[in-house]
Amino acid sequence: MKARMLATHVALPVLAIAAASAQAHAADFEWMKFKGKTVTFLANNNPVAQALLTYKADFEKLTGMTLKVDGYQEQQMRQRLVTVMNANSDEVDVFMTLPSREGEQFAAAGWYGDLTTMAKTDVAKDYDPAGLSQALLKAATFGGKLTSMPMNIEGPIFYYRTDIFKKCGIEVPKTIKEVEAAAGKIKTCDSAVTPFVSRGLKPAIAYTFSNMLHNIGGTYIASGKSNLCSAKGKEALDTYSRLLRDFGPPGVVNYSFQQISALYRSGRAAMAFESSNELRTVMEGGARLKDTGLLPFPAGEAGQVPTTIGWGMAVSSRSKQPDAAWYFVQWATSPEVQKKMALQGIAPPRPSVAKDPEYRKWIDEEPVRKEWQAALDVLATKGSSEVGYPIVANPESREFIGQAVQDLILKQKPIEQACADADKALDALIAQK
Amino acid sequence: MSDAAATLAQDRQKLEMSALSAPAVIFTVAMIAFPVVYTVWLGFQNFSSTGKQSFAGLANYSKLVSDYEFWHGLWVTIALYVLSLVLQLVFGVWLALVLFHAKRLPGIVRSLFISPFMMPPVVAGMMWLVILDPSLGAANYVLQTFGLPPSDWLASPTWVIPTVALIDSWQWTPYVALIVLGGLQSLPPSVYEAAQIDGASPFKTFQRITLPLLLPTIVTAAILRSVDLLRFFDIIYITTQGGPGNASNTLNIYGFRVGFEFFNIGYASALMLTLTAIVFGAVLAFNRLRGAVAW
Repeated sequence: MKARMLATHVALPVLAIAAASAQAHAADFEWMKFKGKTVTFLANNNPVAQALLTYKADFEKLTGMTLKVDGYQEQQMRQRLVTVMNANSDEVDVFMTLPSREGEQFAAAGWYGDLTTMAKTDVAKDYDPAGLSQALLKAATFGGKLTSMPMNIEGPIFYYRTDIFKKCGIEVPKTIKEVEAAAGKIKTCDSAVTPFVSRGLKPAIAYTFSNMLHNIGGTYIASGKSNLCSAKGKEALDTYSRLLRDFGPPGVVNYSFQQISALYRSGRAAMAFESSNELRTVMEGGARLKDTGLLPFPAGEAGQVPTTIGWGMAVSSRSKQPDAAWYFVQWATSPEVQKKMALQGIAPPRPSVAKDPEYRKWIDEEPVRKEWQAALDVLATKGSSEVGYPIVANPESREFIGQAVQDLILKQKPIEQACADADKALDALIAQK
Repeated sequence: MSDAAATLAQDRQKLEMSALSAPAVIFTVAMIAFPVVYTVWLGFQNFSSTGKQSFAGLANYSKLVSDYEFWHGLWVTIALYVLSLVLQLVFGVWLALVLFHAKRLPGIVRSLFISPFMMPPVVAGMMWLVILDPSLGAANYVLQTFGLPPSDWLASPTWVIPTVALIDSWQWTPYVALIVLGGLQSLPPSVYEAAQIDGASPFKTFQRITLPLLLPTIVTAAILRSVDLLRFFDIIYITTQGGPGNASNTLNIYGFRVGFEFFNIGYASALMLTLTAIVFGAVLAFNRLRGAVAW
């Protein structure tokens, strides 16, 4: 499921229809249509939802509806959703979802309401559905049905310390090989810092590893079989694990975004490969504001194929009031709200918002924000939303990718065995219907 | 009133009381029975990755036998259980003896000794995660200050189980101590007076009198901790999520992931029922032991 952002050839017919229909129906659109109703929103308590819910009162004032927020941490949110959906309950009207992770699975389970029709028939004048990232919309379309509307755009990017690079006489790396060379130089030049850090926690590895695999030119599946033992697959596994084993912090196998951000923010890492969403956390306190450079992850043999994903808002197929739920989704993904969220550091999934003068002014305030936006522009134009295997059991596939990488970081298996064990388990997952 | 009339009135009163309490009893029994019965039923179902359900018979249970992760999870669960229980009983008895003999210890100090188990496990897990971070944590800083080599703690496949056992023991040893302290306070003073007259040393007194008399209390504490330890979840989920690799993947963590991350609710139910049977087995064994050491 490769998603080339903004490329015209991927524009969905359904969105074209939606855009045309929006004009036709805009005149009839009435925000107060569902006044008095209560919409329940199952939210992931992450920066995206936090930024959105700052404006909860605006939604309630605009529509006369009550928004009931059921907020959890990411995994607990999924637990709650599994329970609600398996019980055929209508308790949740709208939920947050990561199409790149659970899209295939939730779509096959029939948990997503079909937004295709709603996007055609019930759209406010200024909603502009065609202005949303076409690739993210495509990534959220399963079996021809639009299942969620994008809330943000994000992906792993390369954070590096300009002062350490200058001190050690290192050029900004343009390739993965140069990253490794830079890490080697930093190790001898400044032993007090960790040269390179990225995700080492098993279930979290696929997010950053996928970028490296794709840059190197590897694929997860070839001819219907898992492809980690291919030459490119092994090169990606070996390079990723070697970077973390030889240049990463002690205990990197327990590192996810929290630990990486904390390490980099504290000034104890020279290079970090972590989510664009972490910019705000990394810059907290201002210590890294003036000595950080940002880039998409340097190129491999296949160039730069960054990982690009986004959280989406879906209407539950069990909801008894999908129309009212759609009003909330529409408001939350409207240009106006997404501009407000962008000013809080949530990268907008609408190119028009990214070009907005007020947003540009915010970006221009700090050089690091400019670099962040430039990196996001590359993600938007070159990104792939493939994180882990493009199969229904995607979440489980990430376990086996992570296991193979950890086996190599901890030197528990030689690469041939690590990739073969992973391929065997992943082939069984691919075979599942 | 004749005897027959009195009996009739008593029977009627009993019947009325039964009728009045019946709704609460039925509700309580249903609340306990329904999840158990439902889980047993789920254990006979097969769920595909998309949530499609079909009858599986005993397939989920036969899958357990050939599932490496199940056996590995069982080993991790038992290793963690034995190590944690031994640490908590040994140090719990020791702490109880300290608190029992230090009569002049201020109340605030006593409260501090027993405070860890009042802390939510999630908070304890987060706190230790920060302390034991190999790069930024205080634990390695202390080790290095004393010239000792740093440790990977939770990130080492070798050390993760002892480290998690230490965290759990830090939190729950005071709880064991509190139970044992109650037992110590109920021991008859006359036995100690007799031992003192006979000239028994403090060690002999502990070995021959205190410990045997305390055994029923210690076994009770062991039962209570066994139930929790065999279902070990929260601290592992917060600190390692079963890693590194699957080095701390207990049965409970494995079952959770199978059920809530991979959506195989049927197999997860079979795993959890097997774990429940193990917990029951341990409790039954300790109950028999308690009967044997009762005085």
